[in-house]
Amino acid sequence: MFENIPHEELKVVGKGIERIDTVEKLTGAALYTGDWVVPGMLHAKVKRSPHAKARIKRIDTSKAEKLPGVHAVLTGKELDYRVGLYLVDKHILAKDVVRHFGEAVAAVAAETPAIAQQAVDLIQVDYEVMEPVLEPKSAAKKGAPLVHPDLGTYEYVKEVFTPIPGTNIANHTKLRKGDVEKGFKEADVIVEREYTNPNVQHVPMETHVAIGQWLLGDRISIITSAQSPFTVRNLFAHSFKIPHCNIRVYIPSVGGGFGGKAGIHLEPLCCVLSRQAGGRPVKIQATREEEFSLLPCRSGLVYHIKTGVKKNGKIVAQQMTMYWDAGAYADYAVNVTRASGYSAAGPYEIPNAWVDAYTVYTNKPFGTAYRGFGHVEFSWGLERHMDLCARTLGMDPLKFRLANTLKPGSVTLTGEVITEHTGNVGRCLEEVAKAIGYGKLTPAEKAREKKTGMKIGKAVVALHKAPAMPPFTGTVVILKMNEDGTVTANLSLTEIGAGTYTSIVQIIAEALGFPVEKVRLPIENDTDRDPYDWQTVASKGLLLSGNAAILAAHDLLGKAYEVAAQVLRANPCDLDHDDEKVFLRHHPAKCVTFKAMAVGYAYPDGNAIGGPLVGVGRYVAQGLSNLDKETGQGNPALDWTYGAHGLVVEAHPRTGEYNIIKVASAFDVGKVINVKSVRGQIIGGMLQGLGTAMCEGYRYAPDGRLLNPNFTDNKIPTSLDLPEEIDCIAVETPQIDGPFGARGVGEHSMIAIGAALGNALQNAVGADLTHLPIRQEDVWRALPKGGKGPEGKIP
Amino acid sequence: MLHEFSYLAPRERKDLLQLLKKHSGQARLLAGGTDLLCDIRLGTDKPAYLIDVKHIPEMQGITWSERDGLAIGATVTCIEIMRHPVIAKKFPLLAHAAGHIGSAQLRNRATIGGNLCTASPCADLGCSSLALGARVELASVRGTRVIPMKEFFTGVKATQLKDDEVVQRVLYPAEAAGAAWGMEKLKRIKGHDLAVVSVAIARTATWLRVGIGSCAPTPVVTADLPPQATAAAVVAAAFKVVNPIDDVRASRDFRLFMVEEFIRKLLPALA
Repeated sequence: MFENIPHEELKVVGKGIERIDTVEKLTGAALYTGDWVVPGMLHAKVKRSPHAKARIKRIDTSKAEKLPGVHAVLTGKELDYRVGLYLVDKHILAKDVVRHFGEAVAAVAAETPAIAQQAVDLIQVDYEVMEPVLEPKSAAKKGAPLVHPDLGTYEYVKEVFTPIPGTNIANHTKLRKGDVEKGFKEADVIVEREYTNPNVQHVPMETHVAIGQWLLGDRISIITSAQSPFTVRNLFAHSFKIPHCNIRVYIPSVGGGFGGKAGIHLEPLCCVLSRQAGGRPVKIQATREEEFSLLPCRSGLVYHIKTGVKKNGKIVAQQMTMYWDAGAYADYAVNVTRASGYSAAGPYEIPNAWVDAYTVYTNKPFGTAYRGFGHVEFSWGLERHMDLCARTLGMDPLKFRLANTLKPGSVTLTGEVITEHTGNVGRCLEEVAKAIGYGKLTPAEKAREKKTGMKIGKAVVALHKAPAMPPFTGTVVILKMNEDGTVTANLSLTEIGAGTYTSIVQIIAEALGFPVEKVRLPIENDTDRDPYDWQTVASKGLLLSGNAAILAAHDLLGKAYEVAAQVLRANPCDLDHDDEKVFLRHHPAKCVTFKAMAVGYAYPDGNAIGGPLVGVGRYVAQGLSNLDKETGQGNPALDWTYGAHGLVVEAHPRTGEYNIIKVASAFDVGKVINVKSVRGQIIGGMLQGLGTAMCEGYRYAPDGRLLNPNFTDNKIPTSLDLPEEIDCIAVETPQIDGPFGARGVGEHSMIAIGAALGNALQNAVGADLTHLPIRQEDVWRALPKGGKGPEGKIP
Repeated sequence: MLHEFSYLAPRERKDLLQLLKKHSGQARLLAGGTDLLCDIRLGTDKPAYLIDVKHIPEMQGITWSERDGLAIGATVTCIEIMRHPVIAKKFPLLAHAAGHIGSAQLRNRATIGGNLCTASPCADLGCSSLALGARVELASVRGTRVIPMKEFFTGVKATQLKDDEVVQRVLYPAEAAGAAWGMEKLKRIKGHDLAVVSVAIARTATWLRVGIGSCAPTPVVTADLPPQATAAAVVAAAFKVVNPIDDVRASRDFRLFMVEEFIRKLLPALA
């Protein structure tokens, strides 16, 4: 929409205005769910399993119940509700069996958090400990011990997913394009390897927190740190068979989500505790340790890639097998599997492709959405593999990539034909290559090598991602004109830190022709106040809500023009407006102000016309379809945001120590709406990507206990870990159905950083790595002459 | 903070020692609290009494004399050690070690006494103080005793400290003043992290010593070596005192490799 307006004609869009929530957040005035206190509020704590797999023989809650100040004690036995979005496989509290370390088996609501914890400590659970299933490839085999023997009875979205009852496979996504066997026969070289990623925690600054109240007449009130108010409401209504109109979900400021707060989490638990406590509101706030294993993480991945290439560098066939380690529950991981399955080849054209993507249950903390939705994980393998293919052919990896990128006329894995408006991945690659001086070392870099004794390596990688969402995803924006002619907007995206709200304000202001100061978009969400949106996920908010915002602005202006035409006795086609008034184009002095029309235009005698001005913009993704379950063919992509990373690293050829000198990132964002937001997303995502690349990841004991559920041993990068130099580049190939041509870039900024680091390290010191994260020790072990222990004799 | 305890804050040394005797075995000493409060929150430590030692004059301050050497009160914080002019001039290794503990916020709270009494194998002030030949002054109602730091650590998070005893001061011999030094700490990120391996070297005209962290149940130190000892001899001496494990932070092999690597890197560049 309006994708072809030249930059110079735009007044607000494209400018780097300050985020609308800056002052509140920087001064501490912004209120988060944790700040909320509701009259009569109780506090909840949960009892968690120390075992990865066990049968619950007995839970004795009698001592906890007798503790003064305790108002509700619940175990799985009393709660016969399953909750979920895609595959409804999780109870609110473990029932009969525990399936992962840290799973909640009982919960208490009490006057204070301390009493609740004391009561939890008094609960005695007798377990029969069982052997856990921990490795996804072996768990996927027939005959493996089952994590969910009842899989065949679970509800799931039948049009999209394929669980295999009697196995640990929660979903099998298939994709078949062309004829792979024929393709492999035509290939000059076949390159095959396996790549792995561990579970990774989202680490939002604000942990999960919710307040729930079960009121008389089954009216439910929820305040929560969630990404998606309407999905919380919808899933809640579905699980408890309560009318949607009985449930109100309120979301104040949210301290980061990254996918971990998509869907529904602690909300049902505090509501059932509230019901048990006679309707008193109950608050539950996860500790940091609970974030690691009570709440979900990112799924692990084992990715096997077999590629057939011609000597000229063209890929002719690729077989891709993904084992997604979903952990104990796969409600969300099945969709990660689907979304990564259909884009598993990256932004490259593969004429003959075959994908089998399995979501596998194991006895580990469960996986959910995580910024990038599977693409970070498979990009690690894929972009390492692209370098391996190029090296096998003796071809430069950038040239090899450019020879295979999707271009106008290319056909994606699902059969979508790329056009010149889809975006330009080749240009992104070229931009980052230029930014890092790809292919050679500068004199300064050579001097640095000499001085430090380290070797410098460079690499470029490419990426793509489309929003992973139902094809019918829709949204609404409502604009309400206030008495003074300013405008208040309502929508149900949440501002979880991406800065989208500021961009939406810019879009509304641009479409109305108003200054941004006249547009207010309240940060908090309320399902009783705001119109529907599906979820705040998938980097789809800017495009869908941006379009709805433009339509709402036009609707509002149209309504104002109708009134003005009557007042001015003019044809609407002769009218124009500025930010104060609607006027006759030919006689601008003849006008009527927005203020005069805002709540209904009144003539001098008091007689009025029009009524209060409201604009409604509804937008639904166009032209999308479910994928064929046997072939994966169809159109899943709202838009494709392409991108590339270039990375310069120095590494020590003996110790494996490394420093990241520079990262350049380029994304084809269609059109920059807010230059500061785009830059913020690019840098923030890059650093989060470096966390995945360098240091983050769950580590387990052989019995399935999580060994590093804390910041002592699950390190995340700090400001000191930033590269010495960062380049952010926006390529602008307008998306015809994007607002002013824009696409989302929220997730893309972290997708392929891991492989960029891996490839650059290999180019620097020859370390050939296939597992993330890359710690210094891993580089050391992978050095051509390294990893052999000390030279000195050990007595 | 869910565990309940009584907080006691004596103002005088004699009161502290009496309280320690009275609550022997039931009390933990609170200085910066950067380790202790984490343990209490996690439930791994449930003391009935927390005795705050920050108000005891004898446990405060930094003194230096040519005769008695350097004495650092147990409640002296990392930031005080980093900024003290005598330490900067005569014991720069200590200033460096203190400056690499945790984050700035932690260094404002964490004390030398706490760092040593936690007795973690990775204590940055452990390996560095060992290299400097430090001794520990322990006090109780029974009197005061001074022991070599080498003997102070007895195992993972275990020390010689009796239930009624407190570390009063940490003492550094005058002959170690001005020692040439070097220290390396292997971390997993460039931001704050504990030592996965640490090596601290001090050298005077008469001896050379290497303190090593995270490679044995306690921080360890080599025997006194001649100042001209070759790298191979120093590495050999180091390998006599280390015995690292495999854990989530690093493997035994890599730790041994890095001990040697750090020694070979530091030796020619001691300042």
